[in-house]
Amino acid sequence: MAEMVINTRPKRKLIYRVRDFVTKPENIILLVTVVVLGFFTIYPVVLLVSNTLKVNIADLFYPELFGKKVGSLTTFHWRRMLFSDMSATYFWVPLKNAVVMSLLASIIAIIFGGVVAFLITRTDLKFKKFFSTVFIFPYIMPSWTIATFWINFFQNPKIGNYQSGMLYYLTGITLPEKFVYGLVPCAIVLGLHYAPFAYILIGGILRNMDANLEEAATILKASRAKIIRKITLPIVLPALMSTFLLVFSSSMSAYAVPQFLGGTGGFRVLTTTLKQFITNGWYGQGYIMAIFMIIFGLAILGINQRVTGSRKNFTTVTGKSGQISYIKLGVWKWIAAVILIIVCSFCSFMPLVSFALESCTMIPGDYSTLTLKFWIDPGYPLQNGLHGLFHETQVWSAFRNSLVLSLSCALIAGTVGILIGYAVSKRRGSRLAKLADNLAFLPYLMPSMAMGAAFLAIGSAMGLSKTMALLVLVGAIKYLPFASRSGINAMLQLSGEIEEAALIVNVPWYKRMLKIIFPIQKSTFISGYLLPFTSCMRELSLFTLLSSGSIYLMTTLLEYWQIWCYQSANALNLLIVVTVLAINLLVNKLTGASIDKGVGG
Amino acid sequence: MPEIRLEHVTKRFEKFVAVDDLNLHIDEHDFITLLGPSGCGKTTTLRMIAGLETPTEGRITIGDKVVFDAQTGINVSPAKRDIGFLFQNYALWPHMTVYQNIAFGLENLKWKKEDIKARVQEMLEMLRIEEFVGRYPAELSGGQQQRVAIARTLAPKPQVLFMDEPLSNLDAKLRSEMRTELKRLHSDSNSTFVYVTHDQLEAMTLATKICLMEKGVLQQYDPPLTVYSQPANRFVADFVGNPTMNFIDARVTDGCVMEFLGIKARFTPNDASEAIKASEVVLGIRPEFFTICEGGKIKATAYSTLPSGMETTVKVKLADELVSSVVFGAIDYAVDQPICCDIIGNQICVFDKETTSRVSIGKLEVL
Repeated sequence: MAEMVINTRPKRKLIYRVRDFVTKPENIILLVTVVVLGFFTIYPVVLLVSNTLKVNIADLFYPELFGKKVGSLTTFHWRRMLFSDMSATYFWVPLKNAVVMSLLASIIAIIFGGVVAFLITRTDLKFKKFFSTVFIFPYIMPSWTIATFWINFFQNPKIGNYQSGMLYYLTGITLPEKFVYGLVPCAIVLGLHYAPFAYILIGGILRNMDANLEEAATILKASRAKIIRKITLPIVLPALMSTFLLVFSSSMSAYAVPQFLGGTGGFRVLTTTLKQFITNGWYGQGYIMAIFMIIFGLAILGINQRVTGSRKNFTTVTGKSGQISYIKLGVWKWIAAVILIIVCSFCSFMPLVSFALESCTMIPGDYSTLTLKFWIDPGYPLQNGLHGLFHETQVWSAFRNSLVLSLSCALIAGTVGILIGYAVSKRRGSRLAKLADNLAFLPYLMPSMAMGAAFLAIGSAMGLSKTMALLVLVGAIKYLPFASRSGINAMLQLSGEIEEAALIVNVPWYKRMLKIIFPIQKSTFISGYLLPFTSCMRELSLFTLLSSGSIYLMTTLLEYWQIWCYQSANALNLLIVVTVLAINLLVNKLTGASIDKGVGG
Repeated sequence: MPEIRLEHVTKRFEKFVAVDDLNLHIDEHDFITLLGPSGCGKTTTLRMIAGLETPTEGRITIGDKVVFDAQTGINVSPAKRDIGFLFQNYALWPHMTVYQNIAFGLENLKWKKEDIKARVQEMLEMLRIEEFVGRYPAELSGGQQQRVAIARTLAPKPQVLFMDEPLSNLDAKLRSEMRTELKRLHSDSNSTFVYVTHDQLEAMTLATKICLMEKGVLQQYDPPLTVYSQPANRFVADFVGNPTMNFIDARVTDGCVMEFLGIKARFTPNDASEAIKASEVVLGIRPEFFTICEGGKIKATAYSTLPSGMETTVKVKLADELVSSVVFGAIDYAVDQPICCDIIGNQICVFDKETTSRVSIGKLEVL
């Protein structure tokens, strides 16, 4: 017998190994994942690059390309982008603007979010519970919320759209244009938007950081200041660096804020310039921009990997830190609380109030002319060419489109996420599983705008241009990381024996999934469906390139209205923000998941 | 090597009373263990003495200095109490090397550079961790981290050393090794040690005195062997010792004859003033006093036998109840084998059924 075993071993035929491999569902899932995602990772990049070397119809207006055949090869776009008299306008200035804006935004976010995190976790600040809830609102709300509010608030008749804003109406103060549109407000608004993100990351570290570390220093006679300088700061430093890089990267690819707040002064960043190229039909230069955005994004995240992966990374330091003595602030606990209440209400509540008010003014910014016309008037188009919001067919079709899109994306991403989670955890540690895991997370690292551009190229290559299918495809892939993360987390918590117990009594695979695995980890899986849904509802930069001129979504409709239909845009804005907040609240209540608890970004 | 005195110390968190009216006097050069189940207030007590937690009421004195007094508002910061504190999870600073961790406290004391170097070297040698001097804590094993933490705590030569379950994160072998070293350290260092643990064996083996707490209330404060042989109440008797003491309900007739599990026995208190007055009591018999011997007057059967080599625990079935017995050496009884038992020694406890406190201790003679 023993002899036979030894003899048969090396003879096991390839065909049997293949058969063993494909009869296991997890292997098929991994294989399909790797092939499909691999295709949608490599193919768009190839398309982007090859398209930058081709002549497009709109390019024929350039004298250099006059008379060339559409689709023929040229290096014109690269030359024009990087080495011509226009390269400053097209590339270097937007790049410089984006970098400066992102730097300022990251600094603001870190300082503001970090200070709040410190106050909440380490001091006896008043109303902590209230702050820890309200402070993250701006991060849940769509990214342009504060930006549009900023306009509503600081706008005055001398600048911008020459209308009156809240501040001007109430006090008569007119701020210079530089403070209302352009670099400064873009940086501040992005900083405020990402401050909650910094707060979540830094606060998490401070909360997990063992309070004994600081107490040990107290007993060894270090002063408060020295403890913060020598113990607390160095320990959270890698997390600070990582937060800084993530906020920087997010700001670099932010689109809505610079689009709404860029103003007429020509403040353009990479994303807004990219959008302009595409709208003009200059795909070559647009795609070059997208390629650079992808390179920058990956470079920043590469640096982040090095920072968090180094020898002195302590972000995972945990311990029992239940008993902690708070720093006593004295009078300052009240002063700090009051300041925070003002800032929090500016970022979280005032936008909603302002949208509501502005949507009800006959003359923008003049609160003596209140009317509900822009909401409920069914009659002949108002002076902006639209019906009242509730009777406007554009709104309803956009709402339906957004809903269909978000639902489809959530269904696809959520289901695929669960399957990937199942397969990756089953084949934990294998090379195939690692590859699938990484590929499923990759879309998270891609700037939304660049991904939109890449799928624009895919759309025209595959004949999917201007279809809902293309939007669903890009959305499902972009939000897959949310779902695959929660899928993997859920499956890793589940011991394999639970499934094996059913396998032994011969329960088929689909039944094991539906009757055993899904019910046990229901809430984690459901959050894998709901996070893509909520994020999709408030997404603008991913869809702006793909949906323009074809399928209007709530967010792209808002972008379009923002310029022409002041009151209706405010009404729509309120509708979107409230919808997003309500869905997120509902999701949070149902499953405990929330956008702010997702993978971040 | 100062003494420590706690007077009427109480700590409340909102409505929950963590420590209730604790009075404790720790002598110089004592090795005290605060023992009790988790949540009994032992860590809170330690943290209050160290100054990491502020008591709600009471007074704490270290040496001749009052460090806390709720009435006069004195509250000396932990930095000025001249103490050392060893944390359960070591609390080594992850961004500093072993050397920097140990030297940090000395730098704060404004020691001269060469003095710091010499002292750190001394500590490294004492705890046998010289080769790790340049490493970061994350690059050390649990036992090595433990030694670094001890070195860091001892380096400034604290007069009082507080330890909060310092061995609970180590494996069994390392734990017993470190126990030996801690006891050595105590006699070498001349300091007063206060040690928190929930492990009764650790408390028994290390301490000069055990302070046993439950739900924030002090149950007994005595040397370990006293706690073991003369427990103040049922809780203490139950908490200390492994296998645990047998508790058997008994009826008292005639003032000294007890009836339990179909047995009649005469109880003779060691102290005549502790005669039993109640008619219902609980007997506390340690397993080693319930022996299995030929000619024993109690007829029972062996329910199951758990030999561990040096000794054997036998669960004895007696009138449908199980009683633990520990016998020296390895024996193996067949299941349900008839055996004879006896009750020996003069340390049989009698507890009040209502109050659970011990009313008497003495000899129990089976009739």
